[in-house]
Amino acid sequence: MTSKPIYLDYAATTPVDPRVAAVMRECLEPGGDFENPSSPHSGGRQARFRVEKAREQIARRVGVAPETIAFTSGATESNNLAIQGALNADSARGRHFVTSITEHKAVLDTAAAMERRGIEVTYLRCDTQGIVSPQQVDDAITDQTALVSIMHVNNETGVIQDIGEIAERCRASGALLHVDAAQSVGKVPVPIDAWGADLVALTAHKIYGPKGIGALYVKPGTRLAPVIHGGEWDGGVRPGTLATHQIAGMGEAYELADPDREGAELRELRDRLWNGLSQLDNVRLNGHPTQSSPHVLNVAFPGVDGDSLRLGIGEIAVSAGAACDAATPEASHVLSALGLSNALAASSQRFSVGRFTTIEQIDETIRRVTAEVGRLREIAAGAPAWAGN
Amino acid sequence: MDYSLEVQERFRSPARAGEFAEGTPQVVAGEAEDRTLNVWFRFQISVAGTVIRAVRFRAFGCPHSIAAAAWVADGLEGRDVAAIADLDMHELRRKLDAPVEKLGKLLVLEDALRACWDALQDQAESRNGS
Repeated sequence: MTSKPIYLDYAATTPVDPRVAAVMRECLEPGGDFENPSSPHSGGRQARFRVEKAREQIARRVGVAPETIAFTSGATESNNLAIQGALNADSARGRHFVTSITEHKAVLDTAAAMERRGIEVTYLRCDTQGIVSPQQVDDAITDQTALVSIMHVNNETGVIQDIGEIAERCRASGALLHVDAAQSVGKVPVPIDAWGADLVALTAHKIYGPKGIGALYVKPGTRLAPVIHGGEWDGGVRPGTLATHQIAGMGEAYELADPDREGAELRELRDRLWNGLSQLDNVRLNGHPTQSSPHVLNVAFPGVDGDSLRLGIGEIAVSAGAACDAATPEASHVLSALGLSNALAASSQRFSVGRFTTIEQIDETIRRVTAEVGRLREIAAGAPAWAGN
Repeated sequence: MDYSLEVQERFRSPARAGEFAEGTPQVVAGEAEDRTLNVWFRFQISVAGTVIRAVRFRAFGCPHSIAAAAWVADGLEGRDVAAIADLDMHELRRKLDAPVEKLGKLLVLEDALRACWDALQDQAESRNGS
């Protein structure tokens, strides 16, 4: 039996790759490139070199020009900056915003804030597999639509949206397109230029980089109203002293991220996990069987409470399909959008694999989950139909 | 969520989870559910006179719910049936070191026990009446 904790929560965050940490350390200590990259002296210029190298590494990974990448504190800030900035810009062509109900809270809460400021928001539903069709986007756009925001890879289900086609519909109708691609890099290709998206939120900590650093791609010519004020502006978008060590770390993480090689390895691990878990009676894959990122597997175990399953499987870090700590369990908004009942959503677990996941860990997880689901279903034998047993 | 050792142990080893074999004499049963809380309990209580001989339960819910049912089942055996009505869910919550928001689930457990108590009263009345 494996005694060390098994980490299967890579969609929540990843450890920093030692190669990334080494680059970061070079920018932190005396004798390293710790200086302010805006300073004119030689140390500052060296720090600036680090920043610009990282910008190039990131830009290369997502297929755009370096000057279109602005650094932020992470994808949440990037999403806020993109949505608030585009909708508040003088150039915004109207006060209508289109997004989907399966977006990350960083987008949905920003949409709600914009609603309170008078922006009309259309929330698109998805089908039972989590897909938002380009036609739905097309149908929702009006001559007042300033911005559409659709995520690339869903953080709970791994479902991939057809961003290229959605971008085409947006372009044809004159609306800007923002894409939350926080989960995508390193797992699936992120061809921003080929998509033709106007704004794309990126992050480092989902791809073995540090927390607290992200980026926003801004297509040349796209106007954004500032959200944060003060000091020198990175890329004309976001002010503040550039965090050289984090930026250099993000650059290295993006340099190392290879979706062609790593994506195939992740898919093999995820498929092995699903093949094992699907041997259980009455389990359900939440999301799309093929149109999904290789690192996420979301499974419902009817007849089993999710909190009980997580405690029962011991030291395996997975994520809940629902927040169940409150008196009234609140189902995950993503799983609810797929049509799952509260009980089914609460039974769901998100497993996400990563660079350091091993086949042995997958097999141990299958063994423990299988045993615990059987035990909990036995304890709950005779439960009402709503529990799913 | 952090769970107390008491909860972890009773959740992992609920000795009285299950049900009596068909034909076990003097068994009453009671159950309760609240689907908004994702919780369901069923208790079976076997009595000899006014003494609780054995208890079995089934439960669907969170670790606190399963541990609470196991704790109650363990604690009732050998006691007078009046103990069923005396159980205090606030005290049980404290014993399990469960967060206060779990009290709603424990009150569903109390409803299941009350159903057992009512069944016992009905049984006694029908015996007295016959």
